[in-house]
Amino acid sequence: MFKKLIKWARTKSPWVLHFNSGACNACDIEILAALMPHYDLERFGVQLKATPRHADVLLCSGPVTKQIAPRLKRIYEQMPEPKAVVAVGACACSGGAFRGCYNVLEGVDQIIPVAAYIPGCPIKPEALIDGVAKLLGKA
Amino acid sequence: MNALKVALYILVYPGFLFQSGFSTFLEWLDRKVYARMQNRRGPMYTGWAGILQPIADIVKLLSKEDIVPAAADQRAFAFMPILSLAAVFTAGLYLPVWHLRSFNSFEGDLIVVLYLLTIPSFALFLAGWFSVSPYSLLGATRVLTQLFAYEVPFFMAVLTPAVLAGSWQISKIAIFPWTVAGHWWVIPIELIAFVVAILALQAKLERVPFDIPEAETEVVGGPLTEYSGKKLAIFRLQKDILMYVGAALVACVFLGGFGALPQGGDQASIGVLGLVFGGYLGGVAGLLLGVVGLLLKTTLVVFLLSTLRAACARIRIDQIVRFSWRYLAPWSVAQFLIVLLLKAKGAV
Repeated sequence: MFKKLIKWARTKSPWVLHFNSGACNACDIEILAALMPHYDLERFGVQLKATPRHADVLLCSGPVTKQIAPRLKRIYEQMPEPKAVVAVGACACSGGAFRGCYNVLEGVDQIIPVAAYIPGCPIKPEALIDGVAKLLGKA
Repeated sequence: MNALKVALYILVYPGFLFQSGFSTFLEWLDRKVYARMQNRRGPMYTGWAGILQPIADIVKLLSKEDIVPAAADQRAFAFMPILSLAAVFTAGLYLPVWHLRSFNSFEGDLIVVLYLLTIPSFALFLAGWFSVSPYSLLGATRVLTQLFAYEVPFFMAVLTPAVLAGSWQISKIAIFPWTVAGHWWVIPIELIAFVVAILALQAKLERVPFDIPEAETEVVGGPLTEYSGKKLAIFRLQKDILMYVGAALVACVFLGGFGALPQGGDQASIGVLGLVFGGYLGGVAGLLLGVVGLLLKTTLVVFLLSTLRAACARIRIDQIVRFSWRYLAPWSVAQFLIVLLLKAKGAV
């Protein structure tokens, strides 16, 4: 009963933190589009939070450059449990257009555990909503 | 028996359960109105039209990991949320939501409520101070700067109706427009003080356009940057209850509270609804109507606050200080003079 209540609350109120780990900004614009009036992620209780301490889901775009890798790890460690990471866009999933470059790590999962991959270059806001909904269905 | 009654007052109504429930409803309403004004839908799938969304947020935060930064002062860090929640919750107990006067009301409770409503700002400042993070510190200093800007106009605006009614007791101020026939016109003449109080309350709640202490594009999360889990949940609940208490205080002081309704035998209630229903509904039904009236007025004030939030953009910290001292404070002084003149002429 108590566990059910907690699970209900967790699936109904995922607060997201948006982190750009060296993306070209296209995915970031699409993430913002998903939060804007047309798609309105707040329908599902999603709110964009400014600090990792408040967030449940880390929306990470970009292929993770070598310079930003320790910072990404630190942001992830600052989030309170339970937490989930969503790799947003082809770059975050596998390196995408930057795959093989000398200065990138080819994907978010090289640094931190990823719960959901959303491919696309850039992703569509619908794809982001679908991915987050599937992630919450799994939780 | 009496102790049981007081315990019920404190825990159920108008105490903790009622305040928590109604304030989460107000947060939902605020989010819905805000979303509709931005051409969005707002929370949809948590209960009917998302009405349980604030409760889901708080339950989720309660079940999350609770991180205390290593550099922070452990005890003070944990104490601040509880202090601020206790302060607003105690302030809410003085509001006359049920009877003509609440069970602990006395001559001068308006001042007590005003002081209790100041404590959350100081707790927020200390919370930011003790969490020892650059963003928290910046946010905390902004909280104090903003406090010096809005607090004096707020006090002066709220004290104007008290002078008008000749009492420092919230329930007496609330019933004042309804005590003498045709006396309701004291509500419109306090319009300036009402506007000042709404603006200052918005600043006290740190909402747009006065959300400078937690401006996420500048200072991340402000004083609450390092808070997570249970402590953040308590801060959120405190903010909701602060919104309820502030709005209900404004409704009591400026809009006649539960007025225009029969409230038992000892007061003449000659408002329109009182005339209509007074003969038919005595006692309990009249009380219920009074409660509904007050809650509707509180909701109206929250609606005004949400409209203000949706219509404005954030201003800078120097702009709010200048705005308060250049406009809000003189406005409330002008209102004070109007009321004094009216009283001197014997019109009130």
